[in-house]
Amino acid sequence: MAHVLPATAPGRLVVLEGIPAPVWGIGLLLLLMPALANNFVLFQIFGWSFILGMIALSLMVLAGYGGMVSLIQMTVGALAGYVVAILGTSGVPQISLGWPWWLYIPLAILIATLFGTLVGTLAVRTEGIYTIMITLAIAAAFFYFTRQNYTIFNGYTGFNNVVPPALFGVDWRQPVPFYYLTLGCATLSYLAVVWMARTPFGLALQGVRDNPRRMSALGFSVTAHRILAYSFASVIAAFGGILLVWQNAQVVPGTAGIPQVIDILVIAVVGGLKRPIGPFIGALIYAVLSVFSSDILLAFGMSGERFKLVVGLGFLAVVFFSPDGVLGLWQRWRARMQRSSRDLRPGGEMAS
Amino acid sequence: MGTLQNLSTRHPIWTFVVLVLVVGLAWLILAPWPPDLEQAMGRKRVFLNAILSGITLGALYFLVASGFTLVFGLMRNVNLAHGSLYLLGGYIGYGVAEVTGYWLLAFPVVFILVGAVGLLLQHQVFRRMEGEELRQTLVTIGISIVLADLMLWFWGGQSYQVLSPDWLSGPMTLPLVSSISANGEAVYLSYPRVRIAILIAATVIGLAMWFALSRSRLGILIRAGVDDRDILAASGVRIQYVFLAVFAFGAGMAGMAGIVGGTFQSLSPGEDTRFLLASLVVVIVGGMGSIPGAALGAVIIGLAEQIGLVYAPTYSVVFTFLIMAAVLAFRPHGLLGAQH
Amino acid sequence: MIPSVAERLNAAGSANALELRGVTRLFGALAALTDVTLNVRPGERRAVLGSNGAGKTTLFNCITGDFPPSSGTIRFFGEDVTRFPPHERIRRGLRRTYQISALFTGLSVLDNVYLACRGVSRGRFSLVRPRTGDTLLQSAENLIEAVHLQDVRDRLVGELSHGQQRQLEIALALAGAPRFILFDEPAAGLSPKERAELIEILTSMPKHIGFIIIEHDMDVALRVVENVTMLHNGRIFKEGPPEEIESDDEVQELYLGHGHG
Repeated sequence: MAHVLPATAPGRLVVLEGIPAPVWGIGLLLLLMPALANNFVLFQIFGWSFILGMIALSLMVLAGYGGMVSLIQMTVGALAGYVVAILGTSGVPQISLGWPWWLYIPLAILIATLFGTLVGTLAVRTEGIYTIMITLAIAAAFFYFTRQNYTIFNGYTGFNNVVPPALFGVDWRQPVPFYYLTLGCATLSYLAVVWMARTPFGLALQGVRDNPRRMSALGFSVTAHRILAYSFASVIAAFGGILLVWQNAQVVPGTAGIPQVIDILVIAVVGGLKRPIGPFIGALIYAVLSVFSSDILLAFGMSGERFKLVVGLGFLAVVFFSPDGVLGLWQRWRARMQRSSRDLRPGGEMAS
Repeated sequence: MGTLQNLSTRHPIWTFVVLVLVVGLAWLILAPWPPDLEQAMGRKRVFLNAILSGITLGALYFLVASGFTLVFGLMRNVNLAHGSLYLLGGYIGYGVAEVTGYWLLAFPVVFILVGAVGLLLQHQVFRRMEGEELRQTLVTIGISIVLADLMLWFWGGQSYQVLSPDWLSGPMTLPLVSSISANGEAVYLSYPRVRIAILIAATVIGLAMWFALSRSRLGILIRAGVDDRDILAASGVRIQYVFLAVFAFGAGMAGMAGIVGGTFQSLSPGEDTRFLLASLVVVIVGGMGSIPGAALGAVIIGLAEQIGLVYAPTYSVVFTFLIMAAVLAFRPHGLLGAQH
Repeated sequence: MIPSVAERLNAAGSANALELRGVTRLFGALAALTDVTLNVRPGERRAVLGSNGAGKTTLFNCITGDFPPSSGTIRFFGEDVTRFPPHERIRRGLRRTYQISALFTGLSVLDNVYLACRGVSRGRFSLVRPRTGDTLLQSAENLIEAVHLQDVRDRLVGELSHGQQRQLEIALALAGAPRFILFDEPAAGLSPKERAELIEILTSMPKHIGFIIIEHDMDVALRVVENVTMLHNGRIFKEGPPEEIESDDEVQELYLGHGHG
């Protein structure tokens, strides 16, 4: 990543420095989207993209800034969703405790973050390539456990009727309010990550990614930094998980099933692991494909069920041709446009 | 064996504990149980069944995980499509057994076909990404997604059961006392013949692999390469051929394990994920790149799963997870893994 | 149980800065270091010389804490640090430079030095961005000036020349309040002019900072130190002041005959 300091003058709105110009444009468009799109698109495509984007952002923080590819993010989110269902209200009154929202939401975030941190402590003491294996195995254990356990997690059935509390008299699950809710959360997560990347913690994390031995010889505890990165990422994943459960109005073991866990990695990689906007791009592509894939496939004369095949092939294409994801593609294309426009300048120097 | 000697001299307390556990277990298995023990722990037959199922399941896990651990240990490639190769082998084996009527014939056919798929993958795909471990892993994820959907398309969502051949079906009597009958005679345990056959086969294969790895030139190279990649490069052998051989072998083994799994249990979508996860856990517990480690891990996980299933069904997953977490916490590289 | 500054200074007066006793390091069957016993006083300047494979870098790695010795103890200003991880030793005042520059090439010079300053002070996990006038930032700026790199303060390290990168390595070692520095071949690849600058930096360092320097370049090494330790095949072969070592027959035969840097 390019240089992170110098320090800012006091008073300036520091957070907004790291955001590339196109993102401002997108942001404006998103604010006005309800005027342009219908309810289905708002709820099912954008809402879902923001949520998946947040969880994938959590993965990007660990993989892009920390150099650790972790598959536990979706599980952390699902756990937060489960805690909300168990401590709050749901369609399973024999388990749900019916506590108020200002109790169960913070507790859900806390418990999910603790879980993520714990997984971090298990995963960071080995080389990077182990991290995928270890986090995948733990995610699987969680899935099987929630499926088998009926006393707390209600097993196969899970919890239904898990909806957001009606704060300020608004039904937050209606398309337009939900759209703004998820947009707000996604924006806050994005800003938090942009901010974090330029703090001493974020700087040190990137140092740990690039040369852990050197960081150790500068006085940093590499293990502590990595574990705290898991904590930071887990907070974001937890928020995403709660929103996801509200969107589906249910949480079941399959919310964090292995295909779902892997999909988050696919989303993050396809979008691009180098910049925080990448995961959201990947999530949008995924959501659109997911909703419209059967139509697309039928148009090509194939069975509408082969969605996964399309995803898999698309993912392979990205990994083969543009490991930086869609963002990487775009940046390379932009660089090529700039180079060729330099070439065409009258009397100008040839591009180097 | 040197590692074991090493371990026992350096950790005498643990060695003692393990020895006590092993002797205790041996007594539980071999000796007839007094009535108080049967009261406390249930019938000995149930216990014996759980143990044997655990060990035979462990044999199956070993067959799958051995290829995975070699590929990871040597090529640092976390092949997340390993489970798909398992399932593919199982489906193909089912087809061969159905068409020809010979169960045994399925094995060489599957080994060659799935091994060829592995060869192709290593040669055309992974070879071009030498050194980019994460990218290789991502590719294996993509391949697993594609393969899973293709298999779903071709074979559908139903369960397939590979029928064991007549000469292997049915129970056999084992020289293990399960109880004492009313007139004082020992009653021996009867257990499915095919599972014992697989156990024997897996042991033979495991020993053969271990022998090959410690004695043959290729084997020694592979083990050295697992410890230190640079040694391999410096040895002058064309590493790419070694990689091809190892990957193809690992894929072939996974495929054959698919036939076994299809015989023991069944084949359906989702089994690929299940056996990939089993391989992961076995290798995390047993140690990367170690065949004895894979055997040890497989037996531990197999036993934990089956015993858990019988005695504490809601929490068997937790046992496996706790074992994995404990190993990660205290020996992050696995029980028999090399400390890098 | 962190000793106070006064206690530490007191200990520094009485204890050796660095004390190795019977340090042995095995890699499998290979003994990289055998029974190394070394005492360096606070503020002393020492050179560790020897041919390739003599064990010099392994010695540094052991002292830094990259791996523990197979046997033996290491004491730093009176404290037994044999089992401490590297970052604990660094926080007690040890510093190290690397033979091949270990810098963060994707970050700017300022970022690199700031990280070094941050590593040995509190607030490593701080989520608060530094503002202008931040003391740590100021220290980083001062350090950059001390090694004459202020012109390239904002440039990415990957764009610096080799000589500038070596200067930056030294700046990183001077961050915070170092008490003892390990210089691993600081003169590697430097031009004669840069070498002269390096000698100037090394000789003009504050008197209370001791260091050990590994070097192939005898000129640089013997000019800046008071004592020399020679390693051969992982063992200490000879020790003494530079003039003695230079004129010693055995040393001449084994090492000086091999030419300079």
